[in-house]
Amino acid sequence: MIQIQNASKSFKNTRAVQNLSLQVDKGEILGLLGANGAGKSTCIHMLLGFIKPDSGSALINGLDTSQKAREVRKIIGYIPENVNLYPFLSGIENLDYFCRLAGLKYSKIALHDLLGACGLQPEAHDKKVSAYSKGMRQKVGIAIAYAKKARVYLLDEPASGLDPLASSELSSLLKTLAAEGATILMASHDIFRVREVCHRIGILKQGQLVKELRGEEVSANELERLYLEFMKN
Amino acid sequence: MWLMIKNEWQFLLRSRVLQGISLAFLLALGVSVYLGNLQTNSQAEQYAAAKEHLRAQWESIDAMNPHGAAHYGTYVFKPSNLLSSLDEGVRSVTGNVLRVEGHVQNEMVHSEASQMQSVSKFGKLKSSLLLQYILPLVLVFLAFHSVSKEKQSGRLKSLVLQGAKPSSIVWAKTISVWLYGLVLLSLTVLTYALFNLPSISAEITSRTLLFYLSYALYYFILSGLTVFFSARWQNPTVALTAMLGIWIVWTIFLPNIFMTSVEKWHELPSREEFKTAMREDRSKGIDGHNPADARGKELEDQILKEYGVDSLSQLPINFDGIRMQADEEYGNKVWDKHFGHLRNVLARQKQSYQMAGIIDPFISLQNASMGFSGSDNLHHQEFLLQVESYRRDFIKMLNDKHAYGGSKTGDWSWKADNAFFKSVPDFAYQPTAMASVFPNYLADLILLACWTVFAAVLLVWGTKRIQVI
Repeated sequence: MIQIQNASKSFKNTRAVQNLSLQVDKGEILGLLGANGAGKSTCIHMLLGFIKPDSGSALINGLDTSQKAREVRKIIGYIPENVNLYPFLSGIENLDYFCRLAGLKYSKIALHDLLGACGLQPEAHDKKVSAYSKGMRQKVGIAIAYAKKARVYLLDEPASGLDPLASSELSSLLKTLAAEGATILMASHDIFRVREVCHRIGILKQGQLVKELRGEEVSANELERLYLEFMKN
Repeated sequence: MWLMIKNEWQFLLRSRVLQGISLAFLLALGVSVYLGNLQTNSQAEQYAAAKEHLRAQWESIDAMNPHGAAHYGTYVFKPSNLLSSLDEGVRSVTGNVLRVEGHVQNEMVHSEASQMQSVSKFGKLKSSLLLQYILPLVLVFLAFHSVSKEKQSGRLKSLVLQGAKPSSIVWAKTISVWLYGLVLLSLTVLTYALFNLPSISAEITSRTLLFYLSYALYYFILSGLTVFFSARWQNPTVALTAMLGIWIVWTIFLPNIFMTSVEKWHELPSREEFKTAMREDRSKGIDGHNPADARGKELEDQILKEYGVDSLSQLPINFDGIRMQADEEYGNKVWDKHFGHLRNVLARQKQSYQMAGIIDPFISLQNASMGFSGSDNLHHQEFLLQVESYRRDFIKMLNDKHAYGGSKTGDWSWKADNAFFKSVPDFAYQPTAMASVFPNYLADLILLACWTVFAAVLLVWGTKRIQVI
């Protein structure tokens, strides 16, 4: 479970997050929509334990991320906007390396299975990552989190720059992960993708959660109208 | 951490640019070691042939007046140390041939520098040039972007989220770059060992190990500092500029500034001053070739009294030989005084210059490298002392033969036979043992070790507060 309780965070004179509270339950996907600088990434970095809130707290499965960062990180899978892998290694070598860093040792077959499960074509597994498209790198990034048996996924603009097919594959994968019991928080600009994937949607503005609604309650067009309305006001 | 080091090495081994740089560097190192070795061996062969020829000439002297033979003299060649193919130190400027004769202590001649057509600041392609100047630059280029690249790409975040500690990442980067330097250094030393396998002794091995240790410490200092800068500054250009600045100051400016200062603080007499002072002091002693010399007369009276005779013609020995030896011994005292002063000044210069290693580890590296290779000024002075000791025995043997060999005073036509000349020993150089000169380089090693600890402390302290995002 992901919880942010009355968290505030300022950088110099800028308030990035103000008195923010949110919760994502097991098996649920929460989408955070917001303009650049709305506080989406700050939220995720607080949950990753990289930023300590000035007040309030960020919790993962009940553990305070600023105090128990190492324990929390063991159960978190993080997929940034750009998954940066080692370009001189193949997809499978990258996966193996990141798994070993986390203390996990998989057989070659298991590594291939993990990449396959995340939608990476078998012929790409042994190719150097320098030849990968962004979508392929995202899939390896998800495989790294998946291999870690992460129970909580934090995604920061994961579909940005992906082609429609890769983006659709990512949506399916996230739904599968949630169905398997994962807790997912996804920050994005992509209203249609968020509407398609997320159970709940929150709109962030100037570090505050200004609107929260269920995915099934709104159509994509309605959500876009609402979002633009909040952004303008 | 070893997993991260292995990963860094995969990058080093797979990067085509680095493969090219490594290959070019290895080729240059191989060629420099080979050429250095070839030069050392060919010089050794030439000197051995010349030595043999001179000895044969000496032994073929049928009959000659011993003092005439002292003027005829002989030549001594400075043998090259095996390790001078790795660092030839001051060899190229000190000269390699010394004429040994009576009455005078000559200077060495035929330096390599005197036979060069052109002079370059960095000299010829030598292993020491590559190991001291170029390889450190390669390490700086490898390390300056190592941590900032991970930060900028966002991989540092991924690594930390996978459980890697920032300090382990920084150490892994440092050790990987350092190991790269060590591999190239090891290959250089191994190539050199391979070329000289039959000549390797315990002495050479110990010198090589100390040589290796000095470079290993220096490479760690450079790798550590560069990775530290890379970790502290997100902008890799700042880290690169800082390290290049340090490299220039350490390797070009400070050694020159310190050497010039040290030479001013402990000033050596000029060659002309040295010679004039020697000549003046020498003129106060017995003139071996002047029977009318007042001090010679005193000695004559003393010998006549000793033998209980009234005139030189009654002496059963040749007084000329005794006077010559007395002249020689006075000259030796004069030389000891002036050369001793020179050695003292040089020792003080060396000690002061060594202290400059406190702010410039490159100075410590250079001192240690030349010292352990047996090619620094200290080893050169040791050689000169051995030659002078030989010269004294050689001239004394000739003067004694002149005095006690059976001739009478004033009989300059008397000649010693071939057996005598054959019995005069040839110069046999005893290489300076590392154990006897090691204390002279301890300060350099200690300073390098202190810098290593400093670099390690910087890495530990500086990367504790590393910003992951």
